[in-house]
Amino acid sequence: MLSSLTKNKVSRRDFMKACAAMAVYLGLSESFAPKIADAVENASKKAPVVWIEAQSCSGDTEAFLNSSEPTPAQILLDTISLKYQDTVMFGTGYVADKALDDAIKAGGYVLVVEGSIPTADPLFCTVGTESATNPARKPVIDTLKEAYKNAAVVIALGSCATWGGVVQDCPSKGRGVAEVLGKDKVINLPLCPCNPDHLAGTIVYYLTFKKAPPLDIHQRPLMFFGSIIHDNCPRRAHFERGEFVTDYGDPKQADYCLYLKGCKGPFTFSDCPSRGFNENVSWCIKASAPCAGCSQPEFYAGFSPLYVKSNDVNLPGIGGVPSETVGTVAAAVTALGVAAHLVGRSVFGKKKEGDK
Amino acid sequence: MANKIVIDPVTRIEGHLRIEVEVENGVVKDAWSTGTMARGFEAMLLGRQPMDAIYVTERSCGVCTLVHGMASSRTLDMAYGCKVPEAGILLRNLMLAALHMGDHIQIFYNLNAPDYIDITAVAGYKGNDPKLLAIKDKIVSLVKANDTSPFTPTYKNDQYTLTDPEIVTTLVSHYLQAIEARAIAQKCVAIFGGKSPHQAGIIQGGVTYHPNLEDLIKYKESILKVIDFVENVYWKDILFLGAGPLLPVGQAGLGGGYNNYLSGPEFQADESGKDFLWKGGVVTDGNLGAVQPLDGQKIAESVAHSWYDYSNNQPLLAPYEGQTKFNLTKEGAYSFVKAPRYDGKPYEVGPLAWAMTTQPKEFMDIVTKLNIKPGFLARHAARSYQAVDVARNVLKWVDQLAGLMGKGPLIVNDDKPTPNTGKGAGFVEAPRGFLSHWAIIEGGKLKNYQQVVPTTWNGSPRDANNVRGQFEQSLIGIPVPDPENPVNVVRNIRSFDPCLACAIHIIHPESNRILKFVVE
Ligand code: SF4
Ligand code: SF4
Repeated sequence: MLSSLTKNKVSRRDFMKACAAMAVYLGLSESFAPKIADAVENASKKAPVVWIEAQSCSGDTEAFLNSSEPTPAQILLDTISLKYQDTVMFGTGYVADKALDDAIKAGGYVLVVEGSIPTADPLFCTVGTESATNPARKPVIDTLKEAYKNAAVVIALGSCATWGGVVQDCPSKGRGVAEVLGKDKVINLPLCPCNPDHLAGTIVYYLTFKKAPPLDIHQRPLMFFGSIIHDNCPRRAHFERGEFVTDYGDPKQADYCLYLKGCKGPFTFSDCPSRGFNENVSWCIKASAPCAGCSQPEFYAGFSPLYVKSNDVNLPGIGGVPSETVGTVAAAVTALGVAAHLVGRSVFGKKKEGDK
Repeated sequence: MANKIVIDPVTRIEGHLRIEVEVENGVVKDAWSTGTMARGFEAMLLGRQPMDAIYVTERSCGVCTLVHGMASSRTLDMAYGCKVPEAGILLRNLMLAALHMGDHIQIFYNLNAPDYIDITAVAGYKGNDPKLLAIKDKIVSLVKANDTSPFTPTYKNDQYTLTDPEIVTTLVSHYLQAIEARAIAQKCVAIFGGKSPHQAGIIQGGVTYHPNLEDLIKYKESILKVIDFVENVYWKDILFLGAGPLLPVGQAGLGGGYNNYLSGPEFQADESGKDFLWKGGVVTDGNLGAVQPLDGQKIAESVAHSWYDYSNNQPLLAPYEGQTKFNLTKEGAYSFVKAPRYDGKPYEVGPLAWAMTTQPKEFMDIVTKLNIKPGFLARHAARSYQAVDVARNVLKWVDQLAGLMGKGPLIVNDDKPTPNTGKGAGFVEAPRGFLSHWAIIEGGKLKNYQQVVPTTWNGSPRDANNVRGQFEQSLIGIPVPDPENPVNVVRNIRSFDPCLACAIHIIHPESNRILKFVVE
């Protein structure tokens, strides 16, 4: 971790290696490494970042602190100038408030929004005192509107900030940045929580090229959200063979397909299978937890119920099958149509969601 | 003449919190704690398939993540009638243990320590430790570039601010190491839970992950680094600061409160579900000699001063009967937090409550010898000692799980269909304190779902009898000599490790926003 603090003296080579890795990871050729190094290294021009939490759980902040290459210390000390971030900044109260005001006035920052924006009533989320719309408490939506205006680019981080995520269907009716504040500057980085690599990668891309990476129709970077989980899932062969987990307690089924446990992998665009989480030690499906589809606009209510060994399983194109017979009919059902249906869906899905 | 000071946002906590204090003669006379954000998970869950609750409630908190998934799974364990097999219990323990240690490290170094240091003191470092010199160079270069955010601006220094360059530089170095150590702890959770925050693998009956030796070795290698940090950096720093430069804070007992403490059973020892590493218990009015067993039936919540309505204005409702009906304009209400009470009274939860109800000898000996009284320093000491206690037990569970390997370990009891009707409660002693979930199932769907979380206990507003919550009570008497510098208020609040989705702003006197009024 301290490599960031000493890199100019000792480990220039390691730093260049990291930049080359970053280039590959952004889908660029290694020859971009010097350009990335230049962009990342120039400490006198650290990119100002304003990070505002609306209806959040701080899970994306936590995920950001799990970044590994670059590490949070490298990002904080060398790459960005974090003007406001209420879970980590040292200042509090009016001191924090003023830092935010100053940053917004200066403009030209990367605005990171974490959490959804309440639309049922602005009083569902207030931070601060006094605003034009409320004398006692300041609705976060007022702050976000100001911050959006002067931002150079806006990153909606995590599923809540992209489309409302879990909060979409709550009484506060949380919605995403693009819907509430405007679409033009927004890069959507869904997942619940965000993958910290996606955030670091997007910031580095932006610093290097001064523009957003290529996006899909949901404004997600194609380099991270260009393919369907199901297409890259290590359990896919079991799906094709009709081998499904029906009982977690049976070790024979340990790496079978999770479709009958409610897996939304066939409907979900993300690079979770290759990137994983927490230094790629695992991801949902690797831990036998069915994908909940957290990168999709339908998440969560549109995908509910999750994780369910339903009494009746709805197989696409086939309809309801009683769960007791699933084990015996699954293989036949697969051969008959599930695979074909899902393959069709994913090809269609790619065309539909993959190209802008 | 009293000054009323509003701090909104309170930063470096989880969630959005507003604290108002009334200061007279340099000390806090009265206080109000306000949770300013609500999403409404409980209301959304009604009518849904019960397992959704595990996934959804996990999103309550992204900092001490996984505990809601665990509480919810235990709730459904009971409602579905599942008995968790040994390997499932151990895997749950291993995840929770990693979370406990990682969370406590973060709470102290990254969220609380900045309240006690003047980071500019680093420039005066005269030693020759290459690591510390690198930090000095870095901070000095940031100062030269006139770009030191997010480390500045801050409140002004006061008598408790550490300014010794050697101590501050060491703490800044540990601040940076802590970020790394907590990430390793989260990785340990992810090995079995898929990812962290928001692990995905704890379900009713156990866990979904099938253990293998390779992963267990990975876990052990990583957790050893976390244990090392807890025992050799965190605990030693606390002993040094608590017995040295911050001893006056501990002895003054600033931030004590009611001396009512409550903690739950945790780290299940076997399949019986009766034996736990920590038994939990209840201490009332500081009577440490009379620890009572925890009785879930005595928990009930008031919404008299919260933005909710209860039908027929009932003063208290037990969680099974709980209601989440918003009323954002309710007269006399000032928080989204409800007011949980045990036997009608407010209780503190969290590591200090854990220490007061379990009374570990080593810890009690130290605080007795140093004459440290309940308050914000004692809370940090208890938190670090709890991390040490977990660190001393976790490898035992690793070995136990290794012993089950290859015996076709049963990780989950998954044969149970969703019951048509059922009822369940799940308890977790989370890093932030006692957490409980409560569910009623009817027609295979959730008829009611309630969460009573640690910060609801600690951060509650007044109840139907106008009795203050624990944050509010603990602030009474806290010194605020300068209304522009209420650093002791936030030191105290942060020592609870609040989890609300946070925000404190002080109303700035220059813009004429300190409310001045005469107390009659
Ligand atoms: S349904 Fe899910 S588990 Fe099965 S192959 Fe597809 S993505 Fe993998
Ligand atoms: S596997 Fe599915 S649920 Fe898990 S993080 Fe990826 S998209 Fe989200």
